[in-house]
Amino acid sequence: MEYHPQPTAGEARPWAFPAPERGALSNGLTVLRCHRPGQQVVAVEIFLQAPLDAEPEGLDGVATIMARALSEGTDKRSAEEFAAELERCGATLDSHADHPGVRVSLEVPVSRLAKALGLVAEALRAPAFAEDEIERLVGNRLDEIPHEQANPARRAAKQLSKELFPAAARMSRPRQGTEETVRRIDAPAVRAFYDAHVRPSTATAVIVGDLTGVDLDALLAETVGDWSGNTAPARPVPPITADDTGRVIVVDRPGAVQTQLLIGRIGADRHDSVWPAQVLGTYCLGGTLTSRLDRVLREEKGYTYGVRAFGQVLRSTAPGSASGATGAAMLAISGSVDTESTGPALEDLWTVLRTLAAEGLTDAERETAVQNLVGVAPLKFETAASVAATLADQVEQHLPDDYQAHLYARLAETGTVEATAAVVNAFPVDRLVTVLVGDAARIAEPVRALGIGEVSVVSG
Amino acid sequence: MPMGHTATAQAGSGGLTATEHRLANGLRVVLSEDHLTPVAAVCLWYDVGSRHEVKGRTGLAHLFEHLMFQGSGQVKGNGHFELVQGAGGSLNGTTSFERTNYFETMPTHQLELALWLEADRMGSLLAALDEESMENQRDVVKNERRQRYDNVPYGTAFEKLTALAYPEGHPYHHTPIGSMADLDAATLEDARAFFRTYYAPNNAVLSVVGDIDPEETLAWIEKYFGSIPSHDGKQPPRDGTLPDIIGEQLREVVQEEVPARALMAAYRLPHDGTRACDAADLALTVLGGGESSRLHNRLVRRDRTAVAAGFGLLRLAGAPSLGWLDVKTSGGVEVDRIEAAVDEELARFAAEGPTPEEMERAQAQLEREWLDRLGTVAGRADELCRYAVLFGDPQLALTAVGRVLDVTADEVREAARAHLRPDNRAVLVYEPVEPADETEDSGDAAQTAGTDAHEGADK
Repeated sequence: MEYHPQPTAGEARPWAFPAPERGALSNGLTVLRCHRPGQQVVAVEIFLQAPLDAEPEGLDGVATIMARALSEGTDKRSAEEFAAELERCGATLDSHADHPGVRVSLEVPVSRLAKALGLVAEALRAPAFAEDEIERLVGNRLDEIPHEQANPARRAAKQLSKELFPAAARMSRPRQGTEETVRRIDAPAVRAFYDAHVRPSTATAVIVGDLTGVDLDALLAETVGDWSGNTAPARPVPPITADDTGRVIVVDRPGAVQTQLLIGRIGADRHDSVWPAQVLGTYCLGGTLTSRLDRVLREEKGYTYGVRAFGQVLRSTAPGSASGATGAAMLAISGSVDTESTGPALEDLWTVLRTLAAEGLTDAERETAVQNLVGVAPLKFETAASVAATLADQVEQHLPDDYQAHLYARLAETGTVEATAAVVNAFPVDRLVTVLVGDAARIAEPVRALGIGEVSVVSG
Repeated sequence: MPMGHTATAQAGSGGLTATEHRLANGLRVVLSEDHLTPVAAVCLWYDVGSRHEVKGRTGLAHLFEHLMFQGSGQVKGNGHFELVQGAGGSLNGTTSFERTNYFETMPTHQLELALWLEADRMGSLLAALDEESMENQRDVVKNERRQRYDNVPYGTAFEKLTALAYPEGHPYHHTPIGSMADLDAATLEDARAFFRTYYAPNNAVLSVVGDIDPEETLAWIEKYFGSIPSHDGKQPPRDGTLPDIIGEQLREVVQEEVPARALMAAYRLPHDGTRACDAADLALTVLGGGESSRLHNRLVRRDRTAVAAGFGLLRLAGAPSLGWLDVKTSGGVEVDRIEAAVDEELARFAAEGPTPEEMERAQAQLEREWLDRLGTVAGRADELCRYAVLFGDPQLALTAVGRVLDVTADEVREAARAHLRPDNRAVLVYEPVEPADETEDSGDAAQTAGTDAHEGADK
């Protein structure tokens, strides 16, 4: 073939993260709307301020069961009828509970938005919480637990939360409850949680898609506008603390052919001015297969299909909140390596971290990371669902609506030195809790020899 | 470069258009303009997948796909990933039974770079391919296999069912990931021969979708790909056709360390691209798609014997498609009880067919899935390639949803009657065993086995 020199880029075309229009309905429901031409599948995200730490003592999982029960029948329809009507719209509805609250996510072709939004409004306004449906959801949830327990990645995440957070903190325990707590959940408990924490005045609806020809005000008024409720005092937010004393916990899986790694601690959330630098530095460490970790662990040594470093917000608080508590993100490195390579892989991983701390990032690395993180934005936010999810995340994390739009400028302004400092602070070699789900008989000794912290073994 | 079709929207295409072109070396090109977002998707399908592999070399197509990211004539090492990501793009490659695809989504102003990179590896991969990257990627792929299959509960179900459903010697008898032994056996010379045989412009379709200037894009394609010589060394894959019906119930019981009993089954269904396949898709959706399906209502809601129950469809063009049943049992429920209920529901459905409401729901669900797929430039680029490679006409991608909506309830009932019967399935039953002692060498752990037959270059 005839070789040609590498082409140079054309002129970049302007793109900005969309600015939503914010408003409120007369029932107190906050509404963010955003018109995205061409996106025929509309995304609706509803955030309910029903956080996990509001679950009553001993009833971990009640928020999850409530979230699931929202789509299991209303005052007008049985569970089966509700599911059938929703699917008749070609819609999907997901609902899940996490530390900040419950998220209800609807996706539906715009031609059937009115009907689907009506169903969602019905679910929010008048869920049935029928006894036999709750009983079924509880049974179903109990059946799921052994499957999660058996999954190495889920098992590792569960162990890390247990290790990091104080036993009394809700964050130390599984988001969807344990067998013991889920078993106690019944219809009255679900109803009580709903009554105490679900109301329009503390909820936000985000609607994104091609809204050409949709009279959204009228549609909102006759659907979610019909939902009523009282007001509630702001809930005190407990502070997040974690014990990140460097140590290793092996969750024993005799015979496992791989070891699942999860190495983590907590750090700054998006309210902290270090966030853009932390994002940039974490990307350089382990954002992709050409980042520092995979360059060695995958592309040089072949120990893994891929190891990633990431920061994921656990919960944030409003700036200047009365309790003075601040939010936090989980900062972690995760992946899996073949059993035999576990010791050598961890040794290399620590060497990567030490080298990073000693020598810092290069300008070229920082430049590539900025180009990627900023450049992929129009791709990443092509669909209505991705825009809606980010807008709802901002709401849930008490961030301004233009946070994401400004983040790109801040990333571009972040220098190599700042990014280095942020990632080295985020992943200090002696303050990392390492969870390994694997064959203890084969991996515990090689890991002890590395001196990355005391090694203990728990059963799988 | 004769223009095949013009950019006039066809009925039922939702206003989407595509034009077709062919370079002198045989490379087929499909372009589709869409200026809503300043991005462009490049997608390249090579007409080679695991069905082209020979005995003793399973997994080679996928291992080779990894090698396509290890540098080429003018691109060093991981340069392909570095340059695309450094330009604000995203990329990957995947391998299935019937094809291997490579794709980049770029900000519009970086489109030319993606075309240059794809052309460089199509034309000059062997200049860079060496023993070191072969050994390294062999290890990476083996770890991919462990992570996605061997170290996950039910992880090898897909492989087991495929091996049951397609007889020994059939090109689809093995899955794209391949066996550990064959991955170990593959040599650098195998990889070189594979490239020389299958990676030719006349064995590929290139689609570019998004915020593009078609004339400028075509000129770039001609410039970068035009001088790559075509060649005809490719052998057609072994014939994948089989009788319409298996003719007996095949069965395997797996005793493994899994969290619950499971009933899985693969039904032999019509080839992709046929109206009968669309009818079967609707039948599976009514029976086992979503939370209002017959199996979900029966097993999860009413009998409460299952934690999850559903059907999936693996569409295949060169062999019968597979209807994929997956039921995880609740508590201590025995598989027999589940199986009797499934058979009862399938027999009832075959006799009665769908209700008008069920047809409406199933068609609405499949319509939304199509809107989702065609709603991104990358999704559209992939579908255009799919229809061009497998069915010879990319325009079919833009009208696919109309064909699904055109199927009648009678056709759906007929699809169920003809195919969803006990003598046309391979069954896999999981019976959990207690945690292994030291001698057990199989993996453990959870998750639902999917019908995702694609192996990716990156996680």
